[in-house]
Amino acid sequence: MLSYLNSYYIQIGSFTLINIMLALGVYVPLSTGQLSLGGAGFMGLGAYLSAIAVTRFGLPIPFAIVIAGGVSTLAGILVGVPSLRLKGVYLAIATLGFGEVIRVIFIKWETITGGATGISAIPLISAGTVRFLTEQNIIDSSNKNVASDLTVFLILFLITGFFVWFFVALKNTRIWRANSAIRLDETASESIGINIHYYKVLAFSQSAFISAIAGALYAHTVSYISPSDFTYHRAVEALIFTVLGGSGHVLGAVFGATVLTIIPEALRFLKDYRYVAFGAILVIMMAFKPEGIITDNIFRKIRKK
Amino acid sequence: MHLFIEQLINGITLGSIYSLTALGLTLIFGVLDILNMAHGAVFMFGAFTAVLIVSKLGLPLWVGFLGGCIVSGLLGYALEMFALRPLRRRKNTSPLAPLISTIGVSIILENIARALFGSDTISFRTSISDINFKLGEIDINLINLVILAVSFTITILLYFWLKNSKSGRALRAVSENPDTAAFLGVNTSKVITFTVVSASCAGGAAGVLVAMAFNSVNNEIGLAMGLKGLAIIILGGMGSVNGAVAGGILLGLAETFVVAYGDSGYKEIIGFIIIMAVLLIKPQGIFGTTQKVKV
Repeated sequence: MLSYLNSYYIQIGSFTLINIMLALGVYVPLSTGQLSLGGAGFMGLGAYLSAIAVTRFGLPIPFAIVIAGGVSTLAGILVGVPSLRLKGVYLAIATLGFGEVIRVIFIKWETITGGATGISAIPLISAGTVRFLTEQNIIDSSNKNVASDLTVFLILFLITGFFVWFFVALKNTRIWRANSAIRLDETASESIGINIHYYKVLAFSQSAFISAIAGALYAHTVSYISPSDFTYHRAVEALIFTVLGGSGHVLGAVFGATVLTIIPEALRFLKDYRYVAFGAILVIMMAFKPEGIITDNIFRKIRKK
Repeated sequence: MHLFIEQLINGITLGSIYSLTALGLTLIFGVLDILNMAHGAVFMFGAFTAVLIVSKLGLPLWVGFLGGCIVSGLLGYALEMFALRPLRRRKNTSPLAPLISTIGVSIILENIARALFGSDTISFRTSISDINFKLGEIDINLINLVILAVSFTITILLYFWLKNSKSGRALRAVSENPDTAAFLGVNTSKVITFTVVSASCAGGAAGVLVAMAFNSVNNEIGLAMGLKGLAIIILGGMGSVNGAVAGGILLGLAETFVVAYGDSGYKEIIGFIIIMAVLLIKPQGIFGTTQKVKV
């Protein structure tokens, strides 16, 4: 049965899940009105930390991913606290700068990071499961690769699902109401006693955590990382997912990441011009539906019916 | 000492090009309150056009320069018509919409450039590329002087145009407050179109100058320059013309001295390191002013 599944489609599925996490990393600070483009930087930090922990120090993969997430969250707090003074585009560009600085550190710190060539032969998150299944004679060498891809997909699915559930569940809590209040009017929120610094740093570090976990999982999904995986383009992509999907709702980020990961694959028949078409879609969408596809109104309409 | 002076000249030359690029970004930000993420791509098209006109058609350098400016200006017009104007028709759109829209345009332009010009670096040798002369101990490239002269002339013209001309005053009025400007009889739509087109022309001119300075052009320069432009206008203060010029020169000098006396690997990020430091001390940039928020 396994051989009917196509590795290519499973991999697109896995990338979609990673992109959903990255989109959530943009969505969460945006829910407090902060535009952060540091996603690529934190993703890279997570990927490198986990890859180095596993390949150099031989830590078990789950443990390495947790460490990568924890350290990146601390980095997020360190970057987040001073960045709080910045607003709007200032914050966007400063966080973009953070991403670029991190990337150049990966290139320059060759003894640890492997420089521009990066780190290869990173064990996959499916490694343990595949070994177990092979020992039990459930799979053999003919369907080993598909089984591995499928395991990666399932693990990513569970983790992504958890994050999405977490933020959906957060919707009716004190934290989320505080975030929305800050987004709508900072001064008014402060005057009614909301600690806006606390909630902003909280959102910022949550974003750093998700992006880093996405990065760590990315490293253990493709098994090869280099500084060019974590460029400006990656940060901008995550922003596009969130805004086109609908930045007012958690599921907007999920929807945007899913559709926009699949569209460039579906446009492959256009060859060189597929990204031209992709760019045109962005321009047209912003002219006709700048609030994105998924909005609170859609859910209200569905409930009425 | 003469090495230091040579680096100083190189730094100011590079900085003058950065200033010109950042001026385009800062003008658009001033009038429209948006970051034009397509500025780098427009800049790259200006560079490619000039290179093609000069090396493929064999026409003189000044024709290439004008051609680069005109093509960039036309792209600016298209940007305004297709990506910016439709967004202004709605009230209360999110500030993210124009950001994404201009990112869309930059994706379109970068991929068209890849299809048209290829991904290789194209060398750009002009009749004045190899002329050097000595002033005492100091080696001077003629091309640096030409670049300095051209970019400062354009910058100064822009500056006085903004300060003294009627249309320049209209532009400043729109950037101060579009509604009041419209109320006082300024045709804001025309001013905005004019601003985007002239900012793009300036960007294209800067593109040609960069191609001259480095004797080559490739499709990576747009993105690199776009990011540097953002760093510069943050450094100088958003929407500030003086800030863009000062920030550009400062970045040009910083990059040149990092390469000369430090590690060239840090050239691309020195701008971001500077802005992070500046923003910690003065979140509005060097020339920026705090806007008081009324409750």
